[in-house]
Amino acid sequence: MEITSFYFLCFYALILPVYYIVPRKAQWVILLASSFAFYVFAGGNKWLIMWPVSAIAVTYICTRCMGETSSARPGIRRTSMIFCVTILIGSLAVLKYMKFGGGVAIPLGISYYTFILTGYAFDVYNGIAPLEKNPAKLALYGLFFPTVVSGPIVIYRNDGAQYFAGHSFDYNKVTKGLQRMVWGFFKKLVISERAAVMANTIFDNYTQYRGAWIWIGAVMFTIQLYTDFSGCMDIVMGVAETFGFKLPENFRQPFFSKSISEYWRRWHITLGVWMKDYVFYPLLRSGLFMNMSRNMKKKLGKKAGKQITTFTAMFILWGAIGLWHGGDIKYVIGSGLLHWFYIVIGEVTLPFWKKVLPAMHIKMEGAGADLFRIIRTFFLVNIGNTFFRAASAGDAVHMLGRAFTTFNPQILFSGAFLSLGLDWTEFTIFAVSVVILFVVSILEVTPVKSRIAAAAAGEAVTACGGKSVSADGSSGGTIMTVRDRIARHRIVTRWLIWFALLFFVIIFGEYGPGYDSSAFIYAGF
Amino acid sequence: MTRGEIFNKLTGVFRDVFDDETITIGEETTAADIDGWDSLEPINLIAAAEEEFGVKFSMGEVVTLKNVGQMVDLISKKLSA
Repeated sequence: MEITSFYFLCFYALILPVYYIVPRKAQWVILLASSFAFYVFAGGNKWLIMWPVSAIAVTYICTRCMGETSSARPGIRRTSMIFCVTILIGSLAVLKYMKFGGGVAIPLGISYYTFILTGYAFDVYNGIAPLEKNPAKLALYGLFFPTVVSGPIVIYRNDGAQYFAGHSFDYNKVTKGLQRMVWGFFKKLVISERAAVMANTIFDNYTQYRGAWIWIGAVMFTIQLYTDFSGCMDIVMGVAETFGFKLPENFRQPFFSKSISEYWRRWHITLGVWMKDYVFYPLLRSGLFMNMSRNMKKKLGKKAGKQITTFTAMFILWGAIGLWHGGDIKYVIGSGLLHWFYIVIGEVTLPFWKKVLPAMHIKMEGAGADLFRIIRTFFLVNIGNTFFRAASAGDAVHMLGRAFTTFNPQILFSGAFLSLGLDWTEFTIFAVSVVILFVVSILEVTPVKSRIAAAAAGEAVTACGGKSVSADGSSGGTIMTVRDRIARHRIVTRWLIWFALLFFVIIFGEYGPGYDSSAFIYAGF
Repeated sequence: MTRGEIFNKLTGVFRDVFDDETITIGEETTAADIDGWDSLEPINLIAAAEEEFGVKFSMGEVVTLKNVGQMVDLISKKLSA
């Protein structure tokens, strides 16, 4: 049961009214029962639910041991923590990467619930998360049906309380949630499915293509991946919002990033935050790295010493991010170490550019330089995504070789796009939709200058994770989500816009036979 | 040590870590305000502050620090303990 499927919508339409009819104290029980039902029906083999249930049980027992042991006995706390993390990460590693016995079924959402539970265990150990004493409540936290398949990777100390607090029906939140779901369906069904057709044509037959053709394939896959994953997140956040939840955002217009490190603060944000809090920081704070930092600084000087230590820790971090995506070397390169390489090269060559560019009278500041950086970052990300999508790392290298050695941009102006599996009408629908997405993305980062906007700012910030730029700040306005911008219009205009989008999705959405669109890419991790 | 003194000393730590003598910090200063203070630098900053003030932060404190004001509070608490 994909969350874009007809069955999911029926399932959801059943739960929502029940959720608001039952007493508020019992709402979380409804969510827990729904989450169990969802997991059993969504995952194929219903017995696979034993994996997350066991993970929750282990987490529960270990965190109780940690939470109720006085801090005077750090040994027990530490042993419980190590045991818990070993079991959780160990089962992830065994099931995902060892593939022992050939074809052991992987439980749905294992990469997500494992991280969600591990983070909670670490936080209880560090004394910064409240201890959950009710195992059923911890089960809801780990199995919550909107987040179990593809995240976001929630953090108990920030997001946990809302799971069990009663939520009274709020017309505003429910409609905003539904609007966000429609927007997610638009990204997934209208854009992503079409981009996939073109990306598949190139990637599945890459030996027939060279130069710009390969780049078209890479860009189409990047569009496919972004609209697939962020569309999925819009649906997840939208569903959660209709239940009165505010989950952490996973995307903030990643393709407007001016550097690779900025890109990773805007793309799959919750994974980056998790890796930072539970891998990168503890690594840098470990005795080993502290000593290394001290020794390197003595030997190589302050700056180089610091860089070597940080780059080493980052290598482990990016290796882990790559591995999280899958055991294949193509993920370790394309979603991991290649990005590490980009960041290291960027840092190491920065002093050189700072000297050379002014000497060549090239400005490092301003709109032109920013645009150059954005395009460069997008290009680098596309190289990584070529690894991600290609059948193997070898294929990706071969493809990129073909891409770099032929210069044929003229094909872009001779109808190349129409030979990749979409006819003229289909391609027009795709192109128009991408333009709509682009305009909406621009609007989401453009401050609104008006008193009404300033008044709505508080609302805007809570509604969609929008960032409020202080009214007296340099940007002189407020960042508002497009949903909030639309909400400022008259009711007729508002409904016209949302119904137009809804019908656009219904008419042009590619839901395929049986109203079951293709699976979300990130649900496979 | 007063809050003001901690602030002054901490400003020196920031300038040293970020190699920028023009940095000024306030209660509300966060990662977003200082160029280069992305996910890499906070740890170096914390290590430098620990060395400067002779205190030790726990992992829980490190990941929950939101701004400079909180850091000053924490240092002041640890110094008076």
